[in-house]
This record gives sequence, C-alpha cells and structure tokens, in this order.
Amino acid sequence: MASLPKRIIKETERLVSDPVPGITAEPHEDNLRYFQVTIEGPQQSPYENGVFNLELFLPDDYPMEAPKVRFLTKIYHPNIDKLGRICLDVLKTNWSPALQIRTVLLSVQALLASPNPNDPLANDVAEDWIKDEEGAIKTAREWTEAYASKKDQKSTN
Amino acid sequence: MKVKLREVHSVFAWTWHIPKESQDAHAETIDDNDGDDVCGICRASYNATCPGCKFPGDGCPLVVGECNHNFHVHCIYRWLDTATSRGLCPMCRQTFQLKKGLAINDSQISKFQELRNKQWQTRQQEFGDQQDPETNPLEDQDDPMMDQGLIVR
Repeated sequence: MASLPKRIIKETERLVSDPVPGITAEPHEDNLRYFQVTIEGPQQSPYENGVFNLELFLPDDYPMEAPKVRFLTKIYHPNIDKLGRICLDVLKTNWSPALQIRTVLLSVQALLASPNPNDPLANDVAEDWIKDEEGAIKTAREWTEAYASKKDQKSTN
Repeated sequence: MKVKLREVHSVFAWTWHIPKESQDAHAETIDDNDGDDVCGICRASYNATCPGCKFPGDGCPLVVGECNHNFHVHCIYRWLDTATSRGLCPMCRQTFQLKKGLAINDSQISKFQELRNKQWQTRQQEFGDQQDPETNPLEDQDDPMMDQGLIVR
C-alpha cells in the first residue's frame, strides 16, 4: 500500500486533538483510510439522544474525490436509505478538496437536523414525511430509541 | 582590534512571492494553519511541495487565482481535471482562472488554457444526453478570449 498522504495524517491528528462536538472519528488500525464514526443526533431533532454509527472511507483519489460515508445504524430519514447511503450534495456533485473529514461529518449532522423530503433517497420515507410529517417524525423518534439509543451502544461496546 | 575574515558561509532562504491581497483572502479560509500558509488542497505549505513532488521551487510552482486563492499548480490542475470540479475554485466555487499579470502565473497560462479547452470539449460532447440540471451550459462555456485577458470583466 502506498504511504498515507500527509494531509490525511494531519486531518486524523486534528480529529483526535480537537474533536468536533458530538462527533467522533477513529481510523481503523489495519487501514488508516477507513474510519469508524459516531454522530450524536442534533438536539430538537427526531434523532435527539441517539448515537449513530457510520463508516467513512477515503478513496485513493482523496481529496480529489469525496470520502465515502454510510450509516451503519438504522435510521428513519428521507435522505438516507435502507443501506445507509446518504443523499448529500457535498458527498457528490458539490464536493471540493477544500472540504475535509470534519466538515463532511458536520454536514451529515446538519442533514439530521433538517431532513429534505423533496430530494429523497428513501422514497417511502419521503412520502410519509410529506403526507404526515408528525407521524414520520414520531417514527423517526421511535427508530432512534430502538436502534441508536446511547445505553445500547455502551453495553455492546 | 583587527578582525580577519577566514571564511564566509552564505545561507539563502526563499519564498514564493504572493500578492498581498491573496495572502489576506487566504488567511480567512484555511482553519488548520500552523502559522504557515498552506495549499487548500494538499494542506502542505506553499513553499513546500505538493504530495507528488520531492523538491520545492520551480519544479512545483504555485499559482494565484483571479479569486485570490493560491494552490500548488499540480494540486489545482489535478482538481480541475476531474469532472466534479466543473472548473471551479475549491475554496470559493467561482470559475478558477489564473490572475493576470503575475510573474509566477505566466509560465502556467498555456497549460491551463489547454485544460480549459479539453473540459469545454468534453462538456459539449456530454450535452447530448446531459440530464444534470445543475450544470448550466451558459455558465460553463467560458469564452477562451477572456482567459487571455482580452476582455476585462
């Protein structure tokens, strides 16, 4: 394997020394381009009090290519599908090499605070969200409690 | 008292000459600066090399954009050569163009012109089945005349 670019080393160091509140990202010891990520659900969102596990991978072309980010924890959100794939502009068409791991994860956290059912990835969820927002938010809360509860995470780790 | 000079060791230091306004614009946008100005793409110092080079200096020069954002030539060139870039500056998302009348940019003008023409052609080919509404053909088709400084915006 080619040696790790300096930029990735710098970013990793800073994620540890100056972490983003509510977000953790740790590289895998066997593959320093693969990160285990946790994101806390934003307050006053249906994901409040939840801790979501994600995986983040830096492709060979990073930073010319965006990191690949995926939810591992089940989540009820119009822009995140069953496989955990995320519909977010900065991960696709609006990626810029001036962005970095921390800013991408902040964008993901912001997406939790503002679901956008008009640009859906999970069509069924988006439909629910448009038809009955209150009901959809309730389901999202229930899923958060069932799959992303802080207590569960601690006991399983 | 008489001093006799036996030997002189000269030491030289160099830095890229970056216009003042470009330095200021940069200071606001990079947040993980270790007190040294770094390239917004590779995060290595301007006066060091891009990740692909071993020796700093003429072999790994710096360019200044019209938007006052600076990058290692190799870094910005690799970015602009991707389809995702749409020819935009990574920092401010304006169309990236070399700033006119700067000595450090002069040697790079033809290289960037070539890249721009290549992108223009690829895009025109894509328009046939282009479905991405975000790509505005009018905005993307830069007049090549403009790059030569013949038209002032």
